[in-house]
Amino acid sequence: MNRRGFLKLATGGAVGATLLQAEACGMPLRQQKVAKVPAPRLEIPTTCDMCVNKCSLIAIVQGGVVKKLNPNPENPKSRGMLCARGNAGIQQLYDPARIKHPMMRTGERGEGKWKVVSWDEALDFTAQKLSAVKEKYGPQGTLWSSSESFQEQFFRNLGQAFGSPNSVRHPTLCLASVNLAYSLTFGTVPSFDVQNARYIIMSGANRLESFITPDTMDLVASTTDRKARLVYLDPRFTKTAAKADEWYPIRPGTDLAFILAMLNVIIGENRYDKEFVSTYCSGFEQLAEHVKQYSPDWAAEETQISSKHILRVAREFSDAAPRAMYYAGRRSSWYRDDFSMRRGQAILNAIIGNWDRQGGMVPNAKVELGELMFLPWDDPTAPRVDELDRNFPLAAKGDGVYLRLRENVIAGQPYPVKGWMVYKQDPVSGIPDQDKTLQMLRQMDFVGVIDIQMSDTAWFADVILPESTYLERLDPVEMLAGIRPVVVYRQPVVKPLYDTKPLLEIVQGVAKRLNLSQYFDYTMEQWIAEQVKALPMDLPLEYLKKHGVYSSAQFPKYGTTLTPDHRFVTKSGKIELLSRRLQEAGYDPLPIYHPPTQVPEGQFRLVLGRHAFFTHASTTNYPWLNSFSTENTLWIHPKPADSLGIKDSDRIEVASGSGSIRIKARVTPKIRPDCVFMQHGFGKHSPWLRLANSGGSDAQLLETAWDKVSGGAAMHETFVKVRKV
Amino acid sequence: MKGFSRMRKDIGVLTVGSLVLVGLLALVPLTASPAGQKGNETKGKFYFKQNCKSCHVKDAQGGEITPLSKTQAQWQAYFAKGKHMKGTETLTKYLTPEQLNDALTFLYNHAVDSPQPETCGK
Repeated sequence: MNRRGFLKLATGGAVGATLLQAEACGMPLRQQKVAKVPAPRLEIPTTCDMCVNKCSLIAIVQGGVVKKLNPNPENPKSRGMLCARGNAGIQQLYDPARIKHPMMRTGERGEGKWKVVSWDEALDFTAQKLSAVKEKYGPQGTLWSSSESFQEQFFRNLGQAFGSPNSVRHPTLCLASVNLAYSLTFGTVPSFDVQNARYIIMSGANRLESFITPDTMDLVASTTDRKARLVYLDPRFTKTAAKADEWYPIRPGTDLAFILAMLNVIIGENRYDKEFVSTYCSGFEQLAEHVKQYSPDWAAEETQISSKHILRVAREFSDAAPRAMYYAGRRSSWYRDDFSMRRGQAILNAIIGNWDRQGGMVPNAKVELGELMFLPWDDPTAPRVDELDRNFPLAAKGDGVYLRLRENVIAGQPYPVKGWMVYKQDPVSGIPDQDKTLQMLRQMDFVGVIDIQMSDTAWFADVILPESTYLERLDPVEMLAGIRPVVVYRQPVVKPLYDTKPLLEIVQGVAKRLNLSQYFDYTMEQWIAEQVKALPMDLPLEYLKKHGVYSSAQFPKYGTTLTPDHRFVTKSGKIELLSRRLQEAGYDPLPIYHPPTQVPEGQFRLVLGRHAFFTHASTTNYPWLNSFSTENTLWIHPKPADSLGIKDSDRIEVASGSGSIRIKARVTPKIRPDCVFMQHGFGKHSPWLRLANSGGSDAQLLETAWDKVSGGAAMHETFVKVRKV
Repeated sequence: MKGFSRMRKDIGVLTVGSLVLVGLLALVPLTASPAGQKGNETKGKFYFKQNCKSCHVKDAQGGEITPLSKTQAQWQAYFAKGKHMKGTETLTKYLTPEQLNDALTFLYNHAVDSPQPETCGK
């Protein structure tokens, strides 16, 4: 036998042997593929970051790929619910348009020319630029803008350690007037026990459309089960209006008139909770005298809601007490007088005695966490650039007043600010009067952005430091105060897909180069280890890794502050119907009604709103969410639309004193004839956010205006002209 | 030459005067910063937590004390006295005068009657 013959025989023999083996195993000869063993299916609990609510979720991960995000029913706050945005968190992780590497611009700001750089190069550049600004203008020459996140404190600490007093945060664009009004009245901002209420009044808020969370579902259940009556005031017929028992297209800016008239009726007819008021409140006599002037007939003229309805609602509201509430709202950045309206709400809630009672307002309970201790930095010594102490003495110091700050920075007063660090925020897209924001940006010697996507602000930055998404991160444990407080845990469900870092590591990288390492000399694991020491269980970290959330069965608790010796965190120690602190600061100690600016002839008041599938300006580009609304439109009533020759879907131009946009019209009777409405989050500059480039940007239209007391942006004070193009 | 009794009297006056001066000097650091508002608040929080919270927690020795335990005036008065453990020791046993001023600044700014509007997040 030659070699070829031998090889043929050997091969044939081998094949024959294999075939024999296959037959012996009962496998048909044609099914000889080796069965693929699927990767194990993991269920990893973590916490959502698609909006402020921080619901608990369970990530289904297989083969290192996140397949699905499901709710975690162990969280009594989020219960068995994960909304559209929560589910779309997968698209944040796998977004092809994510920023995958540190980048530095090579062309002009906004030109879109970038180079990928190493982390060392990006961090070196950032530190050098910050140092240069500090040397020339002092540390106060830098501005540190941020939005909430579990790691935000590290960013803010860096700014303070650097020596800058100039932090500015998202509440000044959102909830500032509610926070301040309720803090000055009750000493704290309570939660609203919607689930157990029997009568709810809402001014705007639009909770059944703008923000779908479990307590939204409580509202739906309580109203659709006919347990609670919902009275809803809004210039638009929204989904909340559709579900409400009563809807009134209130004249914008007159909600305080409605509230003062309710106070007039409830006090005048002795329908308030006398015992509660005498035990826990101060300033009632002055309030009673003050509201005598605000009759239902007077309010009817202002609000365009008939006095008989105002009268009836006031009586029904007080009859339902204490399970009645005037809901505070969330995004309260409406009018220059918004704070007064929220104070009116707080006072109305107080006098019916719904404080700390089931179905009313409940002070937030907390769960204690430990803290990693280290000797911190010296507090910045320079005054804030927005001159908060002088202009807004009662506003929250750390939040700042964005629009006042911007005016001052543009003017270079009281001193120059030339460096801007931005974290998890898109000021170009999110703040009114976009041209001014861009003007401020262009004046900067340095703009550094920490983000996960190419936001409009990142588009104009000098350096982008990409953060890992929440599904890739280990974060500090967070305590969410509320009627049922919880401690939530966020752990990575997959390894970072790209060359990104969690914020703490980015901050540590910058701090090292600025000789500030001593303030960030710990790992995330060490930070968390200290936090969980205070939790009442053995092996708390293992518990949180397994369950994702801790809650105590002792909650909810009602009435913990309803003791004669309880001291409210106010100047007087009582619930202040008349606010001494407002009085001392030179503001109205009781809310005084000022009529809104009249809508100029031929113009419309622009009102804004949110939808539950978008988180402000940041999630519009995710396809699942964008599919709900692929572009925004301008709502306009058929009557003025007809007089302007505008039909539904026509292209129109909308112009204000700040700028103009072109957008499609939505002609609908669901809005007052004197108003127009548009959704936030569209009309982007950044071509990376191609799905969100459609429609128009409200930031280009909104004019600069702020609430007089809290400084919160007043986003419903803009009047626009509309024409067909 | 002065009589011995006159010398003893002089020494006595001098001693008393010195004691008064020392006593006044001991009080000065605690009251030098008016209302404790010019101290370092961030450091003050650290000093309070590191030095006071080990004892002054719920169910522990000393009872729970937080910034909300006193009004601004009460915190000022407490630090002006500078005493601890029912007057058996001074606060300077635990912190230097500068650190005490920082702690007072923190406690004063977060006292139960202080203006501290709540906000979202930290």
